[in-house]
Amino acid sequence: MKLAAAYSYLKTELNQIEKTLNETIHAKDPILREASQQLLKAGGKRIRPVFVLLAGSFGDYQFDRLKTVAVSLELIHMASLVHDDVIDEAELRRGKPTVKAKWDNRIAMYTGDYIFARSLEYLTDIDNPRAHRILSETIVELCIGELKQMEEKYNLDQSIRNYLRRIKRKTALLISSSSQLGAIASGAPKEYEQALMQYGYYVGMSYQIIDDILDFTSSSSELGKPAGGDLLQGNITLPVFYAMEDSDFKDALRQTLAAEEKIDPADIQPFVEHIKKSNAIDRAYAISEKYLNKAYEALEVLPNTRAKHSLTTIAKYIGKRKN
Amino acid sequence: MDSISLELQLRRIKSAIEKQISHPYLERYIPKPFIDNDKLMILTSLMNTTDLSESKKDHYIITTMLVQVALDTHDLVTNQSMEKESVQHKVERQLTVLAGDYYSGLYYFLLSKLDDVDMIHVLASAIKEINELKMSAYYNKPDSIQDWMRVVKQIESLLIQRVAEHIQGTEINALSGEWLLMRRLTKEKQHFLKSGQSELIHVLTGHELSNNPSKQAIQLVEGTIQKCVQKMETAVNQLPFQFNQLTSYVHALIYDYSRKNTKVVEEG
Repeated sequence: MKLAAAYSYLKTELNQIEKTLNETIHAKDPILREASQQLLKAGGKRIRPVFVLLAGSFGDYQFDRLKTVAVSLELIHMASLVHDDVIDEAELRRGKPTVKAKWDNRIAMYTGDYIFARSLEYLTDIDNPRAHRILSETIVELCIGELKQMEEKYNLDQSIRNYLRRIKRKTALLISSSSQLGAIASGAPKEYEQALMQYGYYVGMSYQIIDDILDFTSSSSELGKPAGGDLLQGNITLPVFYAMEDSDFKDALRQTLAAEEKIDPADIQPFVEHIKKSNAIDRAYAISEKYLNKAYEALEVLPNTRAKHSLTTIAKYIGKRKN
Repeated sequence: MDSISLELQLRRIKSAIEKQISHPYLERYIPKPFIDNDKLMILTSLMNTTDLSESKKDHYIITTMLVQVALDTHDLVTNQSMEKESVQHKVERQLTVLAGDYYSGLYYFLLSKLDDVDMIHVLASAIKEINELKMSAYYNKPDSIQDWMRVVKQIESLLIQRVAEHIQGTEINALSGEWLLMRRLTKEKQHFLKSGQSELIHVLTGHELSNNPSKQAIQLVEGTIQKCVQKMETAVNQLPFQFNQLTSYVHALIYDYSRKNTKVVEEG
């Protein structure tokens, strides 16, 4: 199943959003413009705009208002990606050179700051203080989440609760806000807004857990990098927590990770293999499934519409996705 | 307002900014962010001429300074990711990126709490423009050194100028432009003389300067500083009386500059 099939009827709107994304980051400076466009060309699922539009259909659907929210959220996401590539020293994003790789770190910083500023400037067309409060809280939480991720790197003694809090900030909150802001922008009833916010949160949690599982189970060609990349960078994800219940595994991993940034990628592979063979992957899938079920439950309050069907299908896709 | 009250106000606001940006994990690994006292002084003096409530004045100063801190922090992100780079250096760079993002999120957070969508727009637009200007100053060769100096002046002063326009206090703009350019050039010159490094002077030396480019660049910088001081003198004398605190402060600055310069010439 292709994700886009779940909302194919939004094609016209999504094309307009793509066009507006392009126009919004049409900088005067040629390098800044090219660097921003580079990101757009690298594409992406545009999942946040999709959530905005779908959530917006539960109120008074006005495309222009929803477009403003959708474009802003996608720009915030893009701005964070440019800066993430500097942090991770990433050379490629979706097979294309990153801004940092094609130009340099400094240009990536300016590009990210520019796109983030454009996003907020554009969003101020929506004169709804509550929308800004929600989004600004999300952004600050997102930053705190990134800082926490750095702080908790290579720490094998953290709890699963830490991990869940981290992925909430890293992924779930922006998806949750996308759904909530879509509902707010269309003036959907409070009850629906709440349900959509929860749906976004649960789907986001599930999405990130599966992302973390795929980092172990996908092939190098699917990932575009060797499997176990998260672990190599010191990020302790859900499958690792389960595998660490075996104290021998944990001790061996502790010894290997002690070298931190100097670990040889090959040293990680036996751990990757062990995790793949253990029940850690299945257990992590089970947690992702629990979040998905909560997402379905959240949708129950909504009327049976095409948009609700799409939200259900998206959640199903996330549960089954393989890349 | 007397000078002691202003001093206390500046201290109080600076401490509020420090509180906002304080983050234990960041503080463990990267230096405390730089809070530009000149910009703080200009903004505070500007706000004190308005009828805004005390709390709104504080919020405008704090959020504008948060933007400045965020921009300055991202300017510190190093360009080279050398293969043999130390782990510590790498972590510092990573945290510098995140710190700037965090400070930037904070200004939006504070203003959204006040439902001040207009000010969010003003600051976001200024950040957008400043990043465009930084690209043209550092990556696209301007037509002339004068053009390039004009761009640097804008980078330094545009944030305050946009805020001033928003609160209809543009009388300050001419002075702040010259003052902030003068300060930036002075810092760059000192840094270059001390360490042999300065991004601005590096751009100047690459700008078709003939024999002994460093010396010529320094001379150019000194000449521009001198012009800035002259223009500051004119601009400060044109400020309305509400700016009397700022006027005295700037007169003292100019006096200090002239005294040091005369000394250099005499000792020359």
